[in-house]
This record gives sequence, C-alpha cells and structure tokens, in this order.
Amino acid sequence: MPHRILIIDDEDDIREVAAMSLETVAGWEVMVANSGAQGLTRAATYKPDAILLDVMMPGMDGPTTFRELRKNPVTAKIPVLFLTAKVQATDRRRFADLGIHAVLVKPFDPLTLATQIASALGWK
Amino acid sequence: MGMSNPSALAEAMNRLWAQFLPQIQERVVTLESAAAALDAGSLTPAQCEEAASAAHKLAGVLGTFGLDQGTELAREAEFLYSSGSTSPSMLNGRPSELAAQLRTILAKRGK
Repeated sequence: MPHRILIIDDEDDIREVAAMSLETVAGWEVMVANSGAQGLTRAATYKPDAILLDVMMPGMDGPTTFRELRKNPVTAKIPVLFLTAKVQATDRRRFADLGIHAVLVKPFDPLTLATQIASALGWK
Repeated sequence: MGMSNPSALAEAMNRLWAQFLPQIQERVVTLESAAAALDAGSLTPAQCEEAASAAHKLAGVLGTFGLDQGTELAREAEFLYSSGSTSPSMLNGRPSELAAQLRTILAKRGK
C-alpha cells in the first residue's frame, strides 16, 4: 500500500510540484491543503501517514498549525516535516524545539523529495 | 524507490513551469516595481514588505525548477527588502540589478 502524504502550503506552485513529485517518483498518494485551517480538517479526515507543512503561511502559519495538530488526539501522532525556504540556523533550532520530525529546505529537488521524506521518517 | 518512466518527471515539470510561469513573472514584476519606487525615493514600508514576500516565494520555487541562480538572487533580494527601505544596502542600485537578473533567468528558462 503506498504511503499517504498531506501537503499543506499556501503557494500553489510549490504544492503542485511537490504533489506531482511524490506521486510520479514514489507512487505515493497525495492530498493537499492550501492553508493551515484546511490542513487541520484534512489531516483529521484523511489521517495521512505524514504531513509536509509550509512554515510561512498567511493566517495560521506552520508552527501554529503544528501545535493545533498536536492538540487533536486524531492527528497528534502523525509525523510532521516542515518545508521551508528559511534556512538560518536560528530558524532550524526553533523548529526543532517544537518537536517536528525534520526540516526540508525549499527549493527542493523533485527527483529526491520522496527519498528525503522517507529517510527522515525511517521508511524503506 | 524508483521512477518507472524517467521522462515523466521532466515532462510534468515543464508542464507545471508553463502553468505557473505567469505568477512567477508577477513576483518579479513586484520586485521591479519596488526597485523603481526605491530609485524614485518613494518606496513605502508596505511595498518593501510585499517585495520581501515575493522574493521569499521566488527563492523557494526557482531552484525547484532547476534555476538555482534564481534562488540565490531572490534570497539576496529577500534579505535586502527584509532589512527595510532605509537600509544603506538598499541604496546602491542592487535591488534593480537583482530584479533585472531574475527577469533574464526566467526568459532563458523559456516556456
């Protein structure tokens, strides 16, 4: 059974490229959400194997969305990876302190995105 | 983990590039407008913030389409506009250069 991933990102170009990449390269099943609020609903409904979450979004940003996911027993244990163009060490430390599984950097290579996610989550 | 059809990804990327090129170009227009306003001494804080946001988005997406130099230029623009409209680093014409170079990179990638 293919892995099921939820991508939460307000930028439709990034969202579509990431989705296409994971579907085409890895054959994973991908769901998308264009905001933190929509992501919370879809995560609770679809219960994906992992969530790829943008950091900088209008309204509910990535860290806030992550904390809300953790509050809900249905989504609390779903692994979350941040996808961000913020690459400074201070940002990385702040994200790590939140308890997320990994930070993936934009821009990403569409050919290796699935491998990066699988590696971060210990998937074979 | 492998891809059954190696050309499928390249084809899909080209299709997505064509689909999203207008909004990518729009972000460069935002940078061009901000740079022009800066040169004219009329850049507002709101414009500056908008330009930083546009540059941030360009930095995130251009390298994904293979335009690594575009990401580097956009990161520099994001840094400049994030430093504020009155920063000395904004007053040497660099923002205009960055916008022009980004425009050239998009043109080279084509449709």
